[in-house]
Amino acid sequence: MNSEKKIIKLLPIFLLMCSISIAQNYEHGKVTIAELQQKTHPLDSSAPAAILFKVGTTRFDVVSDGDYSSFAIRTEVKFKIKIYKKEGLEYANHMVSFYTGGTVDEKVNYKDAVTYNLVNGKIEKTKLKSDGEFIEEKNEDFSIKKITMPQVKEGSIIEFTYEFNSPYITKIDDYFLQTEIPVDHVNYTIYIPEFYIYSAVISGFEQVNVEEKSVVETGHSSQKYVYTLNNVPAVKEEDFIINIDNYTSIIKYELVSISYPNQPTKKLAMTWQDVVKTIYEDPRFGDELLKEGYFNDELKNLMKGNEMDDEKIKIIFNYVKSKMNWNGKNGIYSKDGLRNAFKENIGNVAEINLILIAMLRRAGINANPILLSTRDNGIAYFPNRTAFNYVICGVDVEGKKILLDASDKNSTMNLIPLKAINWTGKLIRLDGSFDEINLQYPKNSRENIIITANIEQDGKIKGNCKRQITDYYAYSHRNRWKNATEDAYLESLENKHTGLIINEYDVSNINELDKPIIETSSFEYDNAVESIGNKLYLNPLLFYIQSENPFKSIARKYPIDFNFPIADTYNISYTIPDGYKVEFLPDPLAIQLENSGLLFKYKITHSENSIQVLVNFNINEFVLPASDFEGLKEFFKTIVEKQNEKIILIKK
Amino acid sequence: MKQKIIFIFICFTTFAIAQTNYSVSLIPQNLTEKANTIVRSESVLIIIDSPKSYTKITKSATTVLNEAGLKNIEASEYYSNSEKVKNIEATILDASGKELKKIKQKEFRDQSIADGFSILTDNRILYLDYKPTQYPFTILYQSEVESTNTAFLPKWMPLNDYYESVQNSEFKIQYALDIGFKYKELNFEGFVIEKNSSQNAIFYKATNLISMQPEEYAPSFQEIAPNVKFGLEKFQLEGIEGNAKTWEEFGTWYAEKILNGTTQISEETKIKIKALVGNETNPIQKAKIIYNYLQEHSRYVSIQLGIGGWRPMLADDVDRLGYGDCKALSNYAKALLEVVGVPSYCTIIYGGRDERDIDKDFVSMQGNHMILAVPNGNDYIWLECTSQTDPFGFNGNFTDNRNALIIKPDGGVIIKTKENQAKDSHQIISGNYSIAESGQIVGNVELKYGGIQYAENVFTSRISDKSELDKHFKEKFSWLNDLKIENININADKSKILLFEKMKLTSSNYVSKAGNTLYFIVNLFNRYQKIPKKYRNRKFSLEIHESFIDTDEIEINLPKEYKTEFIPTNYKIESKFGSYSTSIEIKNESTIVYKRMLSFNKGIYSKEDYELFRVFSENISKNDNAKMILTQKN
Repeated sequence: MNSEKKIIKLLPIFLLMCSISIAQNYEHGKVTIAELQQKTHPLDSSAPAAILFKVGTTRFDVVSDGDYSSFAIRTEVKFKIKIYKKEGLEYANHMVSFYTGGTVDEKVNYKDAVTYNLVNGKIEKTKLKSDGEFIEEKNEDFSIKKITMPQVKEGSIIEFTYEFNSPYITKIDDYFLQTEIPVDHVNYTIYIPEFYIYSAVISGFEQVNVEEKSVVETGHSSQKYVYTLNNVPAVKEEDFIINIDNYTSIIKYELVSISYPNQPTKKLAMTWQDVVKTIYEDPRFGDELLKEGYFNDELKNLMKGNEMDDEKIKIIFNYVKSKMNWNGKNGIYSKDGLRNAFKENIGNVAEINLILIAMLRRAGINANPILLSTRDNGIAYFPNRTAFNYVICGVDVEGKKILLDASDKNSTMNLIPLKAINWTGKLIRLDGSFDEINLQYPKNSRENIIITANIEQDGKIKGNCKRQITDYYAYSHRNRWKNATEDAYLESLENKHTGLIINEYDVSNINELDKPIIETSSFEYDNAVESIGNKLYLNPLLFYIQSENPFKSIARKYPIDFNFPIADTYNISYTIPDGYKVEFLPDPLAIQLENSGLLFKYKITHSENSIQVLVNFNINEFVLPASDFEGLKEFFKTIVEKQNEKIILIKK
Repeated sequence: MKQKIIFIFICFTTFAIAQTNYSVSLIPQNLTEKANTIVRSESVLIIIDSPKSYTKITKSATTVLNEAGLKNIEASEYYSNSEKVKNIEATILDASGKELKKIKQKEFRDQSIADGFSILTDNRILYLDYKPTQYPFTILYQSEVESTNTAFLPKWMPLNDYYESVQNSEFKIQYALDIGFKYKELNFEGFVIEKNSSQNAIFYKATNLISMQPEEYAPSFQEIAPNVKFGLEKFQLEGIEGNAKTWEEFGTWYAEKILNGTTQISEETKIKIKALVGNETNPIQKAKIIYNYLQEHSRYVSIQLGIGGWRPMLADDVDRLGYGDCKALSNYAKALLEVVGVPSYCTIIYGGRDERDIDKDFVSMQGNHMILAVPNGNDYIWLECTSQTDPFGFNGNFTDNRNALIIKPDGGVIIKTKENQAKDSHQIISGNYSIAESGQIVGNVELKYGGIQYAENVFTSRISDKSELDKHFKEKFSWLNDLKIENININADKSKILLFEKMKLTSSNYVSKAGNTLYFIVNLFNRYQKIPKKYRNRKFSLEIHESFIDTDEIEINLPKEYKTEFIPTNYKIESKFGSYSTSIEIKNESTIVYKRMLSFNKGIYSKEDYELFRVFSENISKNDNAKMILTQKN
């Protein structure tokens, strides 16, 4: 499937459109009695608070330092917030963090901060004084400026402005147009000096109005952009979403190029080709990849000289994976150099995977870095350098492509950590050209259950279970239980399934990552059968039953993400106790959700003294658009109801 | 005796970590079982020269077996203007005890300990952010901290957490005479701990303490693990000297040195408050009016800077700013009550669901929260001043049933806060449901909550987003598939502490069909689902945190075309943990009435009782799922 196309289907992104909007004044100090009297938000009565307006402006100021002058960014944001409910009081606190780890500190100043209340029919103003302002020095790199507004209660309106000053022109902070409370009016104006070209992108589902205009300022001209949006609904978290920011309206800016007078243009990024090239040419990336002295001895020891490519890849991958330890940090650049990381056996994601790539290349393998953005980091919609925060290795061997990530001990060939599977990545070749790579794992992860069980006269089930799990099921199991004892694991199963006792348990292939994990156990379970009168009511799927529909909400706004595609099979056979016969078997069912790759098959048959239960469940497309929600909910309703039907046995 | 002390002294001065062999192979096997970390050796020396300062010198060696053990590494020190870290460093050894890496003071991370926005504090932490490259490894740690806050002294707690064992742990505290040094040993039973003392020092030593594993329904780790706490009668807090032998004295000191002079209120506010109270003469009614005013005009913001961690913000400032922390808001309420002639007292307490007492036998700075006590005859009304929504005088499970220190002008008094009984946490469900032949049910239900259950559920009355309410009730009745909820009507009566939730529920296919029979779980609205874990070998006592009583009465209308084939029998269990009963009464051919009662008695029971309690819970859950069968009338 073409993944680019899919992004467009699932994530509407709006390209900048020009139109004329009616100018309105959003100024401080214009609070009305009617506003203070308002009890609930007119469009969302459940809102605890609302942003009546948020107006931001970013300008580039010329700063002179002796003979030398440069630009610095100054962003001013004005807020007017209405508090409706006690739960909304937290919006009377605000904070902005700023960077203090460079040569020049960023600065944040709050001003014009006032609380308005209606007291005996009159508007009362309370100003924020210095005792309501605090700075927290978080660590060496960051501090946070905080304010807590005075006299805030239900009904209050607060206003404040903060000014953010930064010498770092490559980075313009994301501007959120949407938040967890409604925004009545939001606006962002940015003046970009003629020397700079930035690219902009707006994520989310809202249609933003954009105006563009040239303006002349002292000494240079600027391009002015004004973004406006009205009546923005609150964003709400839902289940089956990996990163809500992907669906929130945010303006993101990225520096593309710099052309100072009498100097050649310095391109930073423009197309994905430029982005990739810029990253490749960064000494912390491309140059590091060329160094190989530090691993030559080890590589010689690993290679006997006559391996096939497949084998070489495996040996080097396993070597780097076991030698190197991930320090918990993502990134696309080496911090202290690959040599140092190699020596210390520890590094960030870039260091570990660049070492892997360098070693593979030295061994004659066509290995290349793939840049990507993790699920937490959101989706890179637009060519920009800061879009990527993770790098893995892509290998081409005999026309096949293999993805490798040596920073995770439990990853295998092609099976990279789930956090890194976020649509597509960019594979950069030695010559600087790149390819769009689909990161999605081609296989469904499988869970196969085979159970043979006896139904005892008293309704207890005794049986043997063989459970085989592959791919991401196995990967998740290994990560989840790596530090736990077998007892702890079994206890967790017994506690999850009340009435289950696991007597014998054996697991194989826990450390053989390329093989499926196979668990065998003998168990007793006394919660599957109810003996009522002369009948036994048996829940056919035992503890593998899905008893609740995971989709309960009335409607859905965002796509549904199942994490990875799956294929589960359950094969359960029962021996009927002496003196009983089958009175009722649930009807078979086979349904699928059109276009979505969801499939459920269920069939129960019986012979003289045995019953066979066979169930298949597949999720082939693991991200579904919100428009599929109704169908999905209905699908799960049907299959949950089916699974909850009982087999009835009756005394002969 | 004398000899022993000399021996101990030598012990300390020769304690030289680097020379010892810390190979992992030397750890006795019983210490590595079910452990993530092993404290190979730890020695802490505390020297209290005067009431104005003490020094703490720590040296330790801890072996970390796996990733889960990383959080047990205690390589960090808090500091502030009153506590200075003189030295902190660490060395990492591999499994054989060979040095891998040295970590100097400047490589420790320095961070403020504010967690979340509203907490502002000048307390900071220096901590080790070490990412291991191999397991197991051993970390040698040493530090020296000087503090001028002698109101709190470090405690000795050789076992710091679950899944940690201790090979050797030593603790020595050396103190100046005449400063009223005192100590208290807790939970020593069952642990081998050596102790020696002299006129001016105490020494403890523990060897081979085997790791403990957490259990459900158990007392907190603090109540299980051996520890010793220390205190001084003459102490200093953020530069303020204190002197307290008795709670009375301590309270006097607190009132005079910490609280005094913080309750001034502007004339303007006084006039406003007096006008608000009007002609009301009953002190409790006055307090009610003022508590309501406080709830409408303030919010909780925590600010802990220097003595501000202990002394409330001035009442005038709270009045002007409209916010404060627990101390500031309690003290502000006290100031407002003074204006209208109602006495009240700031009260120090441990807030939390764990009922932790102010230790009556150990006069010292304790507690983590403040509430306000308003005298009511021989009793008190407790006001939680940080809540904008609690009913007046509601003593919920954050502060109930525990010793608290009331600060009166003439001294401190320890008083137990209100003990909530089952009747103080109740729920009554009444309603009906009708079964259609198709298997669909339609029901109308009213859930009524009182007391603590009111407090736990009252948030629903503040949700106005329909889809959020819908989600909440679908989770509450999670066993009802394809549930449709209509006509939700929620009503909170804050003065009576009662909450009413009414709604209509429709669920298709609630009733299962098999051949010509219908079967369904009779108990539709209230199912007990929390069955405690099974332990093959329970180690700790059983602690039931809350008492409550739930009663249900539901009328069920059966489809006319069916007759009853099987009706679950009436069921009753009585036990010390609580009681449970269900019954079904047949009113006529197509109407039955289901009644259910469940109550729990909170308390601490023996570890042998745990399995009985587990079975009790399991039986309740089973019977809550009892099914009824109907068959078609020919």
